[in-house]
Amino acid sequence: MRAAWWAVLALASCRATASEGSHVPAASTTPTELVVRALASGEDGLIVRCGKLVTCDALDTIFTPGVIVVRNGKIEGVAERCNVPDGFAIYDFPDATVAPGLVDLHTHIHSGSFGDINDMVLPVNPEYRSSPTIVPGNRLIRRGLAGGVTTLFGIPGSGTSMAGFGVLYKSKLGSSYDDSVLADPGGLKVAEDSNPQRDAGDFGAGRGALSWLIQQVNDRAKGAIREGRYDPALENLKKVHTKELPILIHTAGSDGIVNTARMWRVNNDTRSTLSHGCFDAWKTSSAVIALGMTVNNGPRTIEWFSSREGRVVGICAEYLKNGAKNLSMNTDSPVVAEEELALQSAMSSRYGADDLTMLRALTIHPAIAFGIDGRVGSLESGKDADVVVWNGWPLDPRSRVELAVIDGSVEYDRARDGQIF
Amino acid sequence: MKFHEMLQRRLLFAAAACFCTLVALPTVFAQEKGADDKKEDEKKDADKKDGDAKKKEEDKWFAVTHADLYTGTGARFRDATVLAKNGKIEKIGVEVDLPEGTTVLDAGGLVVYPGLVAYSSNGLFGAASSDFADSVNTFSPNLVMALGNGITTTGQSGAALKLKRGEIDGVLMKDKATTLLNFSAQNPQGRRSLLDKFAATSQYLRDYRAWEEKKKNDKDLKEPAKKDSDATILQILKGEILARFQSDDRDELLGIARLAQKYGFRPVIEGCREGWTIAEELGRAGAYAVVTPRDRVDKSEELVAAGGTSIENAAILRAHGVQIAIVPSGKSVDLGGIAGRDILALTVEAGFGVRGGLTNDAALEAITIVPARLLGVDHRVGSLEVGKDCDLIVCDGDIMHYETFVQQAVVDGKVVYEKNKELFYAHIRPRNDSALAPETRVDKGQEQPEKTAAAAESKDDAKKDEKKSDKPDKKEEKKD
Amino acid sequence: MKLRNLLTSCAALVVASIASAGDLVAIKAGHVETVSHGCIQHAVILVEDGKIVTIGRDLPIERGIPVIDAPDLWVVPGFVDPYSRVGLEARGGSDFNPQIHAEIELFPRNTDYAETLKAGVTTLGLYPPGGGGMPGQACVVRPKGDTAKDMLIKSGAYVLFVFRADARSKKMLKDAFEKATEYTDKEKKAREKFEKDASKKKDDKKEEKKDEKKEEKKEGEKEASPSALQDGAQDDAAAQDKKDEKTEKTDAAKGYVAPEADEKVKPFLDLRAGKLRILVTIFGAGDWLHFAQALGDEKVGVDLRVPLTRDTDMFEVAKAIGEKKLRVLMEPEITTTPGTLRQRNLPAEFVAAGAKLVLLPRGDSPFAFKTWPRAVGEIISAGLDRNVALRAMTLEPAEMLGVADRVGSIDKGKDANLLFFSGDPFEPTSKLKAVMLEGRIVHGEVQQ
Repeated sequence: MRAAWWAVLALASCRATASEGSHVPAASTTPTELVVRALASGEDGLIVRCGKLVTCDALDTIFTPGVIVVRNGKIEGVAERCNVPDGFAIYDFPDATVAPGLVDLHTHIHSGSFGDINDMVLPVNPEYRSSPTIVPGNRLIRRGLAGGVTTLFGIPGSGTSMAGFGVLYKSKLGSSYDDSVLADPGGLKVAEDSNPQRDAGDFGAGRGALSWLIQQVNDRAKGAIREGRYDPALENLKKVHTKELPILIHTAGSDGIVNTARMWRVNNDTRSTLSHGCFDAWKTSSAVIALGMTVNNGPRTIEWFSSREGRVVGICAEYLKNGAKNLSMNTDSPVVAEEELALQSAMSSRYGADDLTMLRALTIHPAIAFGIDGRVGSLESGKDADVVVWNGWPLDPRSRVELAVIDGSVEYDRARDGQIF
Repeated sequence: MKFHEMLQRRLLFAAAACFCTLVALPTVFAQEKGADDKKEDEKKDADKKDGDAKKKEEDKWFAVTHADLYTGTGARFRDATVLAKNGKIEKIGVEVDLPEGTTVLDAGGLVVYPGLVAYSSNGLFGAASSDFADSVNTFSPNLVMALGNGITTTGQSGAALKLKRGEIDGVLMKDKATTLLNFSAQNPQGRRSLLDKFAATSQYLRDYRAWEEKKKNDKDLKEPAKKDSDATILQILKGEILARFQSDDRDELLGIARLAQKYGFRPVIEGCREGWTIAEELGRAGAYAVVTPRDRVDKSEELVAAGGTSIENAAILRAHGVQIAIVPSGKSVDLGGIAGRDILALTVEAGFGVRGGLTNDAALEAITIVPARLLGVDHRVGSLEVGKDCDLIVCDGDIMHYETFVQQAVVDGKVVYEKNKELFYAHIRPRNDSALAPETRVDKGQEQPEKTAAAAESKDDAKKDEKKSDKPDKKEEKKD
Repeated sequence: MKLRNLLTSCAALVVASIASAGDLVAIKAGHVETVSHGCIQHAVILVEDGKIVTIGRDLPIERGIPVIDAPDLWVVPGFVDPYSRVGLEARGGSDFNPQIHAEIELFPRNTDYAETLKAGVTTLGLYPPGGGGMPGQACVVRPKGDTAKDMLIKSGAYVLFVFRADARSKKMLKDAFEKATEYTDKEKKAREKFEKDASKKKDDKKEEKKDEKKEEKKEGEKEASPSALQDGAQDDAAAQDKKDEKTEKTDAAKGYVAPEADEKVKPFLDLRAGKLRILVTIFGAGDWLHFAQALGDEKVGVDLRVPLTRDTDMFEVAKAIGEKKLRVLMEPEITTTPGTLRQRNLPAEFVAAGAKLVLLPRGDSPFAFKTWPRAVGEIISAGLDRNVALRAMTLEPAEMLGVADRVGSIDKGKDANLLFFSGDPFEPTSKLKAVMLEGRIVHGEVQQ
């Protein structure tokens, strides 16, 4: 029995390194019972007990019932049950499902209004940063939190080709900018295909010139790295080319995503994720996936026109069929309201994608794609305590958020704050 | 009935049927015919009339068997049969004898619901937007898609329409069930005039009723003058037609509730976003509300009282006795790619009602019997009961679950939609009997016909045990 | 080289002059497609005064009769395009004008007619202008002649109805037939009154004229419900001048004058009497349902035109229309199921369902006429039966126009409208070598 247990563990770790993103049959590799020591002075902590705990870890461990222990803002452990030492705040939801806080990599609600996301001065803006426009805990972020979203990538719009650097932040209410920010800059936003083509001046109104402009500035940044030269306008872009920072690229359409993959995987070896990837992009997805490009789908989840076959095609189902790793979903909020992020995955499931994979598409997958999986995206020991309690399966529109915890602090409690969404 | 009698009858039936098919063949449209043909035709016409009469006697039987039946009246049957005669439900039960020649749809244990009712939609019948009886296109792809998402009846421009695919007779169920009144706070003069009309009409109605009473003794008594009374409002006060308002504003809603209470009619309020803040008043007024749970409007800065939208709106209103119909924010079929927000997402929107506190059953009522009532067709559709139209849907799970697909839709006792045979959704999780299904896969849906929230979760557990390769291998080609 | 050209053109002139002289001419052709009774190899067609006198295989030809010798050519009947506005210019609205006749706007000198002939179209059905409603009645013409009268073969071939699924279109049709019924009732009452008065006066003579009177009665009733025999007689008389008809009627009724029907009502009396057909343009399957409902039990000759110049869902009702054995007019186009790229051969689908098919050119211009056989060849290669296709360009439209006694096939007694192709007309490599209209070579040349 014991031997078998180890075998499973070995297999599991092997799978986890070999092919992240796919999940293997459930096998609990964690003890079913935790022993928790009492809070020391100066420490704070909470324990949530629930009917079911979905960790979204590499093995897709699910505890039924479940318990999660949080100490000083970090997850101490997850298990089926634990002792209840002194000092911990206890939250009991015997019928509820606990899941990691949701992560949305494509959002524009950080300023609380929709007017200031496109600053169209130049077609290429490597020095632009969206951090000055962030209004932490604004009403749109608050509704997102009531929809289970705890981590967002707030980015400039797609009005220009290289739109600038966005901020990874958490939907903490009533906190300062410094408290809510996870990474600034969190990554670069680039827009290729369609949107930037319409309004970027005389030169660069078409895809060819836009690509040329992007490659120009990329070459400048790479040159600066080679020569060890300091350039205030290119310092962040240099980090993109040293793979310190990820890129999110607005792109869509079958030829659009191939063009994007060529630019950001072949011509420039970067940590890049294509965002949207809708319309008929699913048709060329295998080529793009083969180049190691991760996909962040949304706000469109289905496609009907391009195939001209009369089928309603589930875009995520097609990406998964073609072997997409770490596929994630977005709302492009406010295009789709932030609080409806879970519905985006539900609709992908409806149109053919695997249901549990689509929950991972809102948690661990985007975290891995953006290199923040050490902190968020799953309920594992040592990670940030971003925990959401749902009264049903998180993807089901009928399920509501009962409790949302970020960094160990209860940011939304339906019983306390009223139901916001 | 004795056996030989039965046999005799059947023979007669068969003979009549043969006769009918024979005489039905000649076309109604005259072709260029020689002189001899015409004489022949006249004779045939006489025969045909005869044949038609016989045809009418021949009943069309249809049954759905082995259904996990949700009737919408609170009853739920396992392994049940719904039997319909000429499109109307004749019997519902667990052991039902089927007459000879019944067309049978075997639900195979799947869940059967009444067809959904969309309170309002656009564009399901082609370009038709008025004069429906003369302009509906019942071959419209949007209509087929709506059937594929469970909708069998819809309101459009105040008319109740049935999604009778490829037929035009019987599409228009009711022309005008409601009348729109303007009680907008932005239009104080209109509001004033409406109040005056109500006052005058109400006075007239009282006078008229008093006159009717007194007339019994005094036959020469003069009928009261109609003066400023309004014909439409008279219909409303008599309960012949429903008064409809489009209002979200708390203050307006209060006004409507008080107007309704004063004059004793039940208002239909579309929108009703701030209804939750005055639910008690609306409940007392016997109001109906048509809501979109996902509506998002922030509270006005000037308003001191509670305001703005609430996800709990539907649940709170219902708890105070307001009958709820739910509509999505999009009223037409939207294939632009953002799923779950158009008219096809009736169940998703109702699901958000559940999120706000409605029970699953109440949410289902909000997309079946309540909108049927508001459209004035609840005696025919909205639930499965004997005597009502046989409009139903066969689903591979709980209709409120986002992964559930309508497998078959039946309207007036006729299968008008089959997922397997239409282009739109056939490739998604095809079932065993699908032309697209792999031959050797047992579909989970058959083992688990019911997918309640709890069942859906246990299904997720089951999924983990299942190897990925078990996923249905979709064949790309579908023959035309 | 030049000399040879001169010689061949002389030869053509000789044939033409012989034919125009009203004499006999014999045609020896390798391959003749009669359309009405199959294909004849090594056929001989004898033409006199523009009419076909006889046709058969290897018939002996009397000495002295000029012979057109075309052993390598394929001969088919002249094409019939029943739905055209070539050479016409007026534009119409969408009103109810069933009394308008298309021939009132004929411009015989329009050069398009010569081009039309060159393309092998020897008979045209010209319809009145209008984008909706009932713009009027079509006429049948030969695309040649100095005056409108020269061109005209038949007036009142069909009344056109551009139907759309809306209350207006349906009401237009229902009202028209209601008015026709009103007239019939009125006429019946007037006649009864007349007869009553007459019987009072002529009580004594009643016995003698009994038989005659029966005839009168039928004559009066014919517009409402013609008896079979009379209808046949009427067909022959259909082309007769209306004035003559009226006098005849008046004479027969001995003093009875039927009340004059409104000019907009008359076409509907003719429709009911089977003297006129109605061509209904519909765009989709939904339109068909509404048209059928509006028409109700009305027994009139209906043909349908379904434009295939855009994708249509007409396949949804192919079965229903096929069962009624209706005639459909379509372009030889491959369409797709709307919203998809799934191809459909609707002409073939309708034929399979039992409908009669008329194929139209893809466009209404001499250029489109020239590519007509090639376009039809494309849908033949996509599955339409070849013989059905040829019939759909010749005899079927001729029958629809009510001129099948004159054109549409190569038969004894019919006009010698013949096309001489270098091979199978549906092969893209085949060339139209010559066109014969009523015994004259009007385009191209053949060996004599």
